Amino acid sequence: MSGADGLETAVEDGCAIGLVDAARDARGLEQVRGLLKASGLGLDADVELFATARDASGRLLACLGLAGDVVKCAASAPEVRGEGVTARLMQRILDEASDRGRTHLFAFTRPGNRAILEGLGFHALAVTDDAVLLENTPFGLSSYVAGLARLRRPGRRIGGVVLNANPFTLGHRYLVERAASECDALHVFVVGEDASAFDAATRLRLVREGIAGLDLGEQVVVHPGSRYIVSRATFPNYFLAREDARASAAAGLDLQLFRTAIAPALGITDRFVGTEPLSPVTAAYNAEMRWWLAEAPLDAPPIAVHEVARLEVDGEAVSASRVRQGLASGDLDAVARLVPGPTLAHLRSLVSPGHRR
Amino acid sequence: MRIEVDAVAGTLESSDALVRVSPAEELRIEVTSTVEAQFGAEIRRTVAEQLDRLGVTEGLISVQDKGALDFVIRARVQGAVLRGAQARPDWRKL
Repeated sequence: MSGADGLETAVEDGCAIGLVDAARDARGLEQVRGLLKASGLGLDADVELFATARDASGRLLACLGLAGDVVKCAASAPEVRGEGVTARLMQRILDEASDRGRTHLFAFTRPGNRAILEGLGFHALAVTDDAVLLENTPFGLSSYVAGLARLRRPGRRIGGVVLNANPFTLGHRYLVERAASECDALHVFVVGEDASAFDAATRLRLVREGIAGLDLGEQVVVHPGSRYIVSRATFPNYFLAREDARASAAAGLDLQLFRTAIAPALGITDRFVGTEPLSPVTAAYNAEMRWWLAEAPLDAPPIAVHEVARLEVDGEAVSASRVRQGLASGDLDAVARLVPGPTLAHLRSLVSPGHRR
Repeated sequence: MRIEVDAVAGTLESSDALVRVSPAEELRIEVTSTVEAQFGAEIRRTVAEQLDRLGVTEGLISVQDKGALDFVIRARVQGAVLRGAQARPDWRKL
């Protein structure tokens, strides 16, 4: 092989693909951190492993990280020509992910890397100035959206709410109630990641049971979370401890997907969110919401955004973190004023395991 | 054959093809190729024929072709389908 491919072949010939286990290889991780930093990227705490390309002397030339089913943290030294090495790194990542039973992968990277990833079987879902979100199948989002469309409800004004509900409180219930009162139908999405104190299945159950208590019947549809709405793929900073400027890049992808794919499938015209006094990341997300849903010039109808003032009990906004604090200190009497019946019953079962539901 | 689980065969290496299958109620095939302009139609025909030969009438099939020869594409489609169907095939018939 020679000619135009000469440089790339030479790098590939001298280039060994290896692995850095984030939990075990501290030295390798530091090298990766350095390479990422040189590209202006941080090392996300949830990346489990990196595929690495090293030259004959062992120097790190390029890396690509895997965090669950999200491929991210891609960087290469300036002298490396992207494509050949990236394909080899990606193949290693695919193999490692496949060994772990993960075949449906997402990729989160700079817009400049979009073409390379599309050449590797990825399909773009959303793009902002700072980041692009892709998945490794042409069918993922479209299958999800087709499934959602079967749950459409009739009406002119259709609302959407996204909750983590960790756990479901009277504050969440109040938000749902207010939103439903202003719409013909309301779709409630419960974040699907198992990254919170209460796992996704429990949170979903408490949301369903708590909303059932409102007696709104067919008017409210509760959707289990998916990879496409407030997930580690669409909004990674929500799940990472670090709070920095990149929170805004990640929120844009999630909100874009909501407006261009999820909302049209269900006919959602309005989005409701609680005011956010405590978490800077969530507050930044709410601010971005107005831009991406209501104002940005996208090829999808704008969605009206409504911030609903938080329900207050004893002069303080009801929040799930207050409930978790009460649970941690064992003070369920204080907590009882903040949560509906089903949530309280669940919390009691945690404190006194003998009284299992 | 019926595809029951997600499955993959092949790699992203030049001259290979990466085939991914997953269960579905309908048949959808999508091919992207580095030689789309010259051979796109032919590749799609090869994939469709191979699926037909395997008796696959439902599933999501995505093929990422990196300039693979015909028999390679057929082999990768067959590999992915057999894994996806969790089948123990009668090799005489394939």
